[in-house]
Amino acid sequence: MAEEMMVLMLQLGIILIVSKFIGYIFAKYLKQPKVLGELVAGMIIGPYLLGGIAIGSLAPLFPLPMNSTVPVSPALYGISTLGSIFLLFGSGLETDLPTFIRFSGKATVIGLSGVIISFFLGAGVTVLFRPEVNSIMEPEALFLGTVCTATSIGITARILGENKKIGTPEGVTIMAAAVLDDVISIVLLSVVVGISSVQLEGGTVAWSMIGFVAFKAIAFWVVCMVLGIILAPHFTKNMKKLGELPLISEVSFGIALLLAGFSEMAGLAMIIGAYITGLSLSQTDVANSLSKRIDSVSEFFVPVFFAVMGMMVNFGALKAVLGFALIFSAIAFIGKLVGCGAPALLVGFNLRGAFRIGSGMLPRGEVTLIVAGIGLASGAINHELFGVAVMTMLVASVTAPPLLLEAFKSGGSGYKRSLDFNGNADQITIELDFPSMRAAQFICDTVMEGFIQEGFFVSKLDSSKYASYQIRKDDIVILLNMIRGEDEEATVRFFCGREEESFVRLMMLESVADFKEFATTISSMGDTNMISAQLLMNMFLEK
Amino acid sequence: MKLKNILNKDLVKIDLKGNNKSEIINELLDLLVENGKLKDKELAFKDIMYREQQMSTGIQQGIAIPHSKTKSVDNLVACIGVKKEGVDFSSLDGVPSNIFILTLSPSDHIGPHVQFLAEISRIIKTEESRIKILNARSKNQVLSVFGI
Repeated sequence: MAEEMMVLMLQLGIILIVSKFIGYIFAKYLKQPKVLGELVAGMIIGPYLLGGIAIGSLAPLFPLPMNSTVPVSPALYGISTLGSIFLLFGSGLETDLPTFIRFSGKATVIGLSGVIISFFLGAGVTVLFRPEVNSIMEPEALFLGTVCTATSIGITARILGENKKIGTPEGVTIMAAAVLDDVISIVLLSVVVGISSVQLEGGTVAWSMIGFVAFKAIAFWVVCMVLGIILAPHFTKNMKKLGELPLISEVSFGIALLLAGFSEMAGLAMIIGAYITGLSLSQTDVANSLSKRIDSVSEFFVPVFFAVMGMMVNFGALKAVLGFALIFSAIAFIGKLVGCGAPALLVGFNLRGAFRIGSGMLPRGEVTLIVAGIGLASGAINHELFGVAVMTMLVASVTAPPLLLEAFKSGGSGYKRSLDFNGNADQITIELDFPSMRAAQFICDTVMEGFIQEGFFVSKLDSSKYASYQIRKDDIVILLNMIRGEDEEATVRFFCGREEESFVRLMMLESVADFKEFATTISSMGDTNMISAQLLMNMFLEK
Repeated sequence: MKLKNILNKDLVKIDLKGNNKSEIINELLDLLVENGKLKDKELAFKDIMYREQQMSTGIQQGIAIPHSKTKSVDNLVACIGVKKEGVDFSSLDGVPSNIFILTLSPSDHIGPHVQFLAEISRIIKTEESRIKILNARSKNQVLSVFGI
């Protein structure tokens, strides 16, 4: 036991150090998401490459365990599962539930169509090219179909944010449809896990059985979501009375772990419980603070998950299916591009807009890996098909960003009608100039604190030139931009609906008053020479 | 925010007597004291006047919204006063103020009074509602402008 734990610590140490470094290199020099670096790190140090080699008298650091579908030790796999729970709990927390519930019709059509077309293309091509798979109802086809459905919202959001395209009609639609995609993929995963487990236990799957499994999965979702939405605000409200914000994060994560266990007991995947817990809490006013606290711990566990997923790639097995992997990657690519692009044409976008949306939905990430990982661990797919899934994810994630950038480069509106997509006629701009960026930042911090206290969610939008924040509560969306002038002066600019005008103006006024009070308090400290004398008087007295 | 949870008939005065800023504020604070809404009138007065020094709350079109964060209340409290002839409240447009909405909220956050003031401002933005308040003969008529 002691030796197993010693090995585990060594393994974790190596995983963290190597995956963090390679992740850094991917992000900094290759301009790729760092998760890809962590995945590649896992491949390099895993049991099928360096980790499987014994050095002198020392045994391999990552030996292949006997009689296991997973090529790492149960203890390490456990830690990586914890990583996936952190990841999905965090994703749920960062989802904007009100927007999610109030989905615009366009995004629903695009997201759903993308999922359906990708699923059937993925499952279909598996049946077509894999002789051992005879029907799309077999576990292999089901899992590979599901692998094709998820979209990595993180990669798309980063690219759109950096290029200030998040607010465009295409940007808004992509972001909304990608959230929907992930949720549908996870629900689909629940159903697929259910059906596969029946098949793997030797049972035959009748349509009535599929209906029952789907019903069970969806019922679990609905019951947990409804309970979550009702209970989460009461839970956080009561916990807040204790005055300990950290306590709320830790107890919430405890609930996520419990629900993860329950969802596994109900025959679904564990991450579903974690995701639902996060999603329920995302509507509460502490979501932002919870998210920040969880993120700092996630940074230690999530790389272990990605690295272990990389370790599962058996290069020997992949060689045999390389041709299939390429075809599958291409089909998955086409599935999303056409599956999301074509319906975009039907809901008001032109060809340029449809291409932008199609390419925005291409990146794949954590959900793809989770689906494949669960498939491998449950024995539903073998090492060869797991390798295919990882390769599909890598191909999509590497090719999508340049394609997306190119799609948005070719100027012009992607929308058929000249109608203003966001209904900007009712939007107003409120501006206030400040003598310096520091003063503007102070006021903005106070204003945002005020909004948070009023139950708004404040999130920083990825943007290098301007500091931009999105402030939202239910269907109210306020944008805050800080713009630096030529001579150090700064302008704070709000975009909001007419309904919110008084609120924003007064909030700004209160913050400026607060700032003035702060300035008065500081100046009451007296002459700066006196302060410096008080601070430095004894500094040069030592003998 | 539900205005009717904060305002009621007893918190309205349609014939304020004061002739300057501090008299008006004192009168409105007395109204809160009479209704048991204020723990420490002196402190509240000091806090409101301090806020007035930072920035006058006489806004425009005869409206003044004296407000402050203070330790003298536990919850958001407010009252409405009207003085047809108007008094100088150092307002932005120089016009004497005649509709006063005084708000006090607990001191530890920027908090709910902004939402309350925004809601009130939204209603009295129109000239029609301001005229209705000024011409009101009863407290209920004032409250009806706010939908209470």
